[in-house]
Amino acid sequence: MNEATLHARLAASGVGGIGALDTSAKDPFVVVEKDALLAALAFLRDDPQCRMEMLHNVTAVERPEAMEVVYHLCSLAHHHSLTVKVRLPRPEGGTHQNWIPEVPSAAGLWAAADWHEREQWDLLGVRFTGHPDLRRILLPAEWIGHPLRKDYVYPTEHGGMPLELDAVPLYERREGAPLPEPKPPREAGTPLFQPPSPFSTRPAAAGGKTVEPGQDRPGNEGHS
Amino acid sequence: MGVLNNALPDVAPVKAVDGLIGWGRGSSIWPMTFGIACCAIEMMAVYAATFDLDRFGAGVPRATPRQSDLIIVPGTVNAKMAVRVKRLYDQMAEPRYVIAMGACVCGGGPYVKWGYNTVKGVHKIIPVDIFVPGCPPRPEALMDGILKLKEKISREAVFARRAATGAEMDGRYVQARPGGGAGA
Repeated sequence: MNEATLHARLAASGVGGIGALDTSAKDPFVVVEKDALLAALAFLRDDPQCRMEMLHNVTAVERPEAMEVVYHLCSLAHHHSLTVKVRLPRPEGGTHQNWIPEVPSAAGLWAAADWHEREQWDLLGVRFTGHPDLRRILLPAEWIGHPLRKDYVYPTEHGGMPLELDAVPLYERREGAPLPEPKPPREAGTPLFQPPSPFSTRPAAAGGKTVEPGQDRPGNEGHS
Repeated sequence: MGVLNNALPDVAPVKAVDGLIGWGRGSSIWPMTFGIACCAIEMMAVYAATFDLDRFGAGVPRATPRQSDLIIVPGTVNAKMAVRVKRLYDQMAEPRYVIAMGACVCGGGPYVKWGYNTVKGVHKIIPVDIFVPGCPPRPEALMDGILKLKEKISREAVFARRAATGAEMDGRYVQARPGGGAGA
């Protein structure tokens, strides 16, 4: 089945909250309501026509208006795949200090989700409720903050080890020497998001030119 | 040697003994079995048959810091690893030497701006003798680094008073620099 028939089957499954299939991206995706997420994923896994036995990847994207959690599913039996997204809207003034988006964990459906969700928790601060063991997976347990958030403030040191480019080497530090100035917090007017790159294939960035699904970005023909 | 270290006058017989010790030390550098990231693959190639670091007496990687003279730091040093690198270095017996191998270890490399967990050069943690840049460096470059270290060791004053040791070697690079300014 292709993405369109998979989406039609999912929409007809009786699981509510299934959005339309978005074919503007290279990989067509379907946006699912947060409450319907687990039911939709379970349907895609268990339905004999879909049989998504494999969860490739769980990732997250921080956007100005929401945090997107992305599930890449694929079926080894039927040789098809589908991307499922869930959008967790950002509250007014939500920054990474005060906004931890929550989404139900898929670790009960695919064992692979366990570590992937831990990675998203570690780097982007998405809390997966019902996860069996939601600890940091890459960074040290005592790390502060989630580094891939847009408003992350970079640490000056960790565990006594300097992390800054202009840090004074450890063996050159002297007793009573003045400590380096603490880093100023993020400036109020700094934009969280940069303008889109001209290399992006999104219609808004490509000057209104829509890239059809299956079509490669310009200059990349034959390298799909 | 302890109390005699750098305690004798800088005269010919003392210098001769120092030269002998330096020759011995420089010709049997025992590196530590230690690798962090992709540069370690290149380092293993240098140990192996094609490049054969044993030709220079440095082909006996020791499995413990207490037996090693040299720590080659090959690969990105991140916040988690930096603590371990420092600890390993602290366990090595004097005289001990450090080679920073690769762009990440020489100054952060590709992580210099956005690497939130990267130590921007291992020289922020432990004193480095030789920097070998490259991403990763060719095996020949690492071999050149080892030979430079050998040269540095053989010029060290052991018993003689510490004069301008290493200045002779550094002088060549200062002269080679346009303008000839020191440490520009």
